[in-house]
Amino acid sequence: MTNAPSTPGARAAAADTSAIDFAARGPLLLLIGSGISWLVISGLLALITSIQLHSPHFLAQYSFLTYGRAEAMRETAFVYGWAANAGLAVAIWVLGRLGGNPLRATNWLFAGASFWNIGVTAGLVGIAIGDLTTFSLFQLPRYVQPLMVVAYGAMAIPGVLAWSGRRRGVTFAAQWYAVAALFLFPWLSSIAQLVLLWSPLRGVAQDVAAGWYAQGVWTLWLTPLALSGAYYVVAKESGRVLPNYDSAPLGFWSLVFIGAWTGGRHLIGGPVPAWIATVAIVASVVLLVHYVIVGLNLRGGWRARGTAAGFIRFGVVAYLLAGALDAITAFRSVAVSTQFTFVSTALEQLSLYGALSMIFFGTIYFMVPRLTGVAWLSGSLTAGHRFLVTIGVIVLVVALAVAGWTQGTDLLNAKTVFADVIAHTKLPLLIVSGAQLVLLGANVLFLVNFLQSITTSVVADVVALNPIRETTEASAS
Amino acid sequence: MKNGPLFLIGIFAALSISWGAIVLGTGAQLGSLTPYYDDTEGNSFPLRRSGIAAQGAQVYADLGCAACHTQQVRRPGFGADQARGWGDRQSVARDYIFETRPQLGSLRVGPDLTNLAARKPSPPDAQDLMKLLYAGSETHPGYRFLFDTRKIVGERSNQALSLPRDLAPPAGYEVVPSNRAEALVTYLLSLQNGYEYPEARPAAPEKTAEENKNEQKK
Repeated sequence: MTNAPSTPGARAAAADTSAIDFAARGPLLLLIGSGISWLVISGLLALITSIQLHSPHFLAQYSFLTYGRAEAMRETAFVYGWAANAGLAVAIWVLGRLGGNPLRATNWLFAGASFWNIGVTAGLVGIAIGDLTTFSLFQLPRYVQPLMVVAYGAMAIPGVLAWSGRRRGVTFAAQWYAVAALFLFPWLSSIAQLVLLWSPLRGVAQDVAAGWYAQGVWTLWLTPLALSGAYYVVAKESGRVLPNYDSAPLGFWSLVFIGAWTGGRHLIGGPVPAWIATVAIVASVVLLVHYVIVGLNLRGGWRARGTAAGFIRFGVVAYLLAGALDAITAFRSVAVSTQFTFVSTALEQLSLYGALSMIFFGTIYFMVPRLTGVAWLSGSLTAGHRFLVTIGVIVLVVALAVAGWTQGTDLLNAKTVFADVIAHTKLPLLIVSGAQLVLLGANVLFLVNFLQSITTSVVADVVALNPIRETTEASAS
Repeated sequence: MKNGPLFLIGIFAALSISWGAIVLGTGAQLGSLTPYYDDTEGNSFPLRRSGIAAQGAQVYADLGCAACHTQQVRRPGFGADQARGWGDRQSVARDYIFETRPQLGSLRVGPDLTNLAARKPSPPDAQDLMKLLYAGSETHPGYRFLFDTRKIVGERSNQALSLPRDLAPPAGYEVVPSNRAEALVTYLLSLQNGYEYPEARPAAPEKTAEENKNEQKK
């Protein structure tokens, strides 16, 4: 930390930095760096699949890039590459800070992160050669899945130690969400593997289990990771107790207890017991309690300024919107036209990109200067990323929703021949490709900015640690 | 929330309850489904797939066909699946008991395939499907890697695709489907849900008040 921070934000960040942050910055930056790299890879695949939707012959001659495989790779790179890496960095850092001690067992974090990313890489290769499981959000091949649980367990160790060895008895909402995510993913994944891969259930019971797992990934793993970052940064940036904080425990427990029950809404009208869908519809509505509480709590960040707060504000609004739309589209009368259409894709993107990723972006913008002690190198890259990603997400979700709505109305009208149903979605799908291109560009800016900032900080540290070299150079000249 | 162990027990309970109810509950409800024996037909349904069709099911899964095609028909009256000729009855759990990995799908970029082999008005034949898989169409990609273009040695293979001129290989060459393509097409042509299980009979649509009135007048 030799070079003096130039901007007020960076000075604040530097003043806020402590030994707690330095203890684990290597592995945490590794997680963030791999996360952003996967985000770029996933963006490339998303561009390919979005083009294939309106021009089906695009790259069709390559068996490893059929729409089905490329889409599975995109989703896996996004969820297990980007969201998992970024989310774990956020959760473990938050637990370390709120625990009040430097993180311990960081070697485990490093080893776990390495094996996790090896697992994702091997998984993508496996999907490319046709070993996908065909279950949504669970596409990693069977031979990679156990490794993921073990690697995740290793990564979680510093977080769990920080939780159990915390200095204060009182805990914060950010900690509950982070610890829950650390514990829940290995349980969720191992029991899903048991009933889907190692000792598969019979017939469509598999699809019910897969739906439960996919919803669990969203509500019990990724959402808690994001909310731990959001609760922490919003509290920090607003500098006061979050409004209606008394209700935060209810918000947490309602998510954990009710969230996983909402998965069956995708099986409405399907060949499964009807109670699965009915329970899911009820659960989707009851879960609104959670969304209301999160909204009330995090409105504390409405007036905060800065990049981090801006991203998180967008993410929280998208999160609340996604919750409301999930509940609305769960009703049978709405689902009859939105099911099997791009409307569900739009909602997934609203959740994964608009809510989750935006909150992760915000938290990363907040975290990195505190880990490195150096501000983000380029303000214009940061601004460019924020501008492009905001535009990209909005256009992506709106265009997908329009495509889905057209598709849904056309599908209900049996007089429209199927080829026309697809033809009518062409224009919105072209716009989706444009949005994916913008998002890819935005995330490349983000990656460049991150790598440059890290390099600067490493150079600064090397210079700080080797003062002798400077003097010898001076005497030689 | 000061009590760490209680916190962990809480999240563990939340996960276990939903898993127990949704996953194990469904497993218990559907795990004992047996094929339905029909006395008049002298056969039990669903039919088991032939070996090559079962291989085709794996090709269908590994290419990721389910990303665009569903295999679940909704009941008549809920959506237009019946009107589109995708099947006259809804899919039921019993349809899938022999599937190692059901391919229900969740997005209809392409048509539903549950009842492809008996689709109305006219189902495709093997030659149609081969051509679609090789050359694609305006809305379907062509998967040429499923086919071999090879020099005709001696007689032309009877497996060779008869393609229109703009797609045909150069003179002296022929396009033959690989084993994977053969298996996939056999699988696709085995897809049908013509047999009506007792639980799949569409319930008669409820009469509206107006229809009831009309009936009374008669």
